[in-house]
Amino acid sequence: MEQHSQTFLDNAHRALQDADRARRRDLLGRLVPAARTAAVEAFDHFEALRRHVRRVRQHALDNLDHYLTQFEREALHNGNHLHYATDDAALNSIVLDICQQHSARRIAKGKSMVTEETGLNSYLQRAGLDVMETDLGEYIIQQAGETPSHIVGPALHKSAAEIRELFLQKHDLGARELVATSDLVGEARQVLREHFLAAEVGIIGANALVAENGYCMLVTNEGNGDLCANLPSVLIVCTTVDRILPRAEDATAMLRLLVRSATGQAQTCYTSFYSGPRREADLDGPLETHIVLLDNKRSDLLASDYREMLQCIRCGACLNHCPIYTSVGGHAYGWVYPGPMGSVLTPLLTSLESSNALPNACTACGRCAQVCPADIPLPDLLRDLRHEEVQARLSPARWRRGMQVHAWLAGRPRLYHFLSGLGVAALALLGRRTGSFRRLPMAGGWTSQRDLPAPQGRTFMRQYRRRQRQRDAR
Amino acid sequence: MPVSDRAALFARVRHGCRGAPAADIEAQLRGLGRAPAAALPAADVATSFLVNVLKNQGSANAAEHRSGAVSAVSAYLYAHYRSQRLVAGNDPRLAAMPWRDAGVLPRFGAVAPGESVTLSFARLGVAEMGAVVIYTGRSNPAANNLLPERHIVLLDSSDLVSDMESAWERINADMEKLGRPRGVNFIAGPSSTADIEGQLVYGAHGPRGWHVILIGDNATDALQQARAIAGR
Ligand code: SF4
Repeated sequence: MEQHSQTFLDNAHRALQDADRARRRDLLGRLVPAARTAAVEAFDHFEALRRHVRRVRQHALDNLDHYLTQFEREALHNGNHLHYATDDAALNSIVLDICQQHSARRIAKGKSMVTEETGLNSYLQRAGLDVMETDLGEYIIQQAGETPSHIVGPALHKSAAEIRELFLQKHDLGARELVATSDLVGEARQVLREHFLAAEVGIIGANALVAENGYCMLVTNEGNGDLCANLPSVLIVCTTVDRILPRAEDATAMLRLLVRSATGQAQTCYTSFYSGPRREADLDGPLETHIVLLDNKRSDLLASDYREMLQCIRCGACLNHCPIYTSVGGHAYGWVYPGPMGSVLTPLLTSLESSNALPNACTACGRCAQVCPADIPLPDLLRDLRHEEVQARLSPARWRRGMQVHAWLAGRPRLYHFLSGLGVAALALLGRRTGSFRRLPMAGGWTSQRDLPAPQGRTFMRQYRRRQRQRDAR
Repeated sequence: MPVSDRAALFARVRHGCRGAPAADIEAQLRGLGRAPAAALPAADVATSFLVNVLKNQGSANAAEHRSGAVSAVSAYLYAHYRSQRLVAGNDPRLAAMPWRDAGVLPRFGAVAPGESVTLSFARLGVAEMGAVVIYTGRSNPAANNLLPERHIVLLDSSDLVSDMESAWERINADMEKLGRPRGVNFIAGPSSTADIEGQLVYGAHGPRGWHVILIGDNATDALQQARAIAGR
């Protein structure tokens, strides 16, 4: 997928101008976290579950060579064809080859962030294939020619009115009323059902790969992924090695975290495990199944200090709880993965040069780490990336010099306290009359949006020490 | 398949791993213990299962015996379609039921266009999720779970388990005996979507209606209690 992460600030600025979308993002940032909190509380032992799954995933990653070998053996035994793709281009060409071998024209696709990453749709379309996204959210943005704004609800940025307009324009179904949301869903169901029944190849992602038995776990509410996995005569699962878990029960333990963190549900409607092609005597199912394992730098991550990021289960909770994401939305991040997890993943999977704005899109509030079911220390990883950014001299020279001066000062506490005391006293004196500043030299960006309240005359440390002395005296 | 991509990936993965012996890895995994499951909404498994089925927006009924289940299926068909037709997989348990007594007219096989209701006999029910577990195969074509407007599922109360770990114990035992089915489907409710402005709508791609009939001695009591707890 094309990347626009470097213009994050401009993207964000533009996003903030759209009041209607800003309102919906704000709502998302309040409703979804509330639903998640309720689901987590109802579970009773969520912390213990989180700890357990983290241990299992760390164990799986520590021994990934073992589990990858086991998964490969079992998946082959189940009758799958296995493929390995080092990068985007490799995955795309493997998938196209399979489609062409079967002279396929119509492809039904389930939701898959991995194929968003590789830009599979446009690649197949350029080769003349009719690729249809079947997850309702993905279908909507595909019809609108947009990219996902959220990893769980890709079309949540669009209003029902926009979607109505889109359907009236794109579906050649004559005059009709599309009043309720259920009418829109019903129409998409009708259009997509035809495609499902005609498609020769189904493409899905996987939420987990089970090493002990070679099954792929697929989790959806709509059932669209299952239709892709069961109706067409060829099935292709596009996934990555970090999805591998030792046992089936580990996959369902992770599922407990996933559903509650993603939508606040207690379970999704369809949790399916698929092992391979149709068995003898089966009445339906694909005749041929392929699993494509994409690396795209994940094996590098495994050996790096960012390894914990491979524990991400793509629940989207960090997005829903992030003050930056809920203000500017997913498109501002300029690539597949937005929000805190995206700000870590994008530089690692693309390059820091092309996305160093993202690790800075963080207020260090820590909410993401608090809610992340995979227990990933997102703010720490973002800080490490910022550190790398400075070391690689990617941030502006003026900024770096400022930080150097700050670091020098911070290493000399006496001087630091003396100078900051001086600064605060001077500001207090200057702002005595109005109580605030409308403009300040070197802080124009800050004061362009709001006034800076004038300090009261003493630094925090001074006041703190005075209080301590008073308390000791008592 | 370019072998080099596989070799490269394996080499890089190995580089990031500890290279522990298999026996140690297995011992370590066992040492991690069992994951905690969700708290059940009632004291017994059958009631908990039905509470969660109702919370998942499924509808439910109960019968003491299989003949009672046949009447329950007939009543559901009549209420929704004023008809007695349905499609069922070639499950021997379904074939053996006294359909004619209630006037139900099943067709055995995979659902075809124009057919609206299917019937499955679940292998398991999981109380924690309010889910039924169905294996795809001759007894249960996958299309029967996914394509109809309404899906009726029968379940013996002796096939209820409390959590997913217990479900896997049974499924793994089945696999040992019968081989691996192509698909193991946990189904917990009618198909739904919240992709338009976060509003929940039922009948996204799969069934709009999902009806579970629990069969067993205590099933009717359990259903009564479940309705009281779920408020539905
Ligand atoms: S980083 Fe954590 S919270 Fe964010 S999507 Fe991944 S698992 Fe969910």
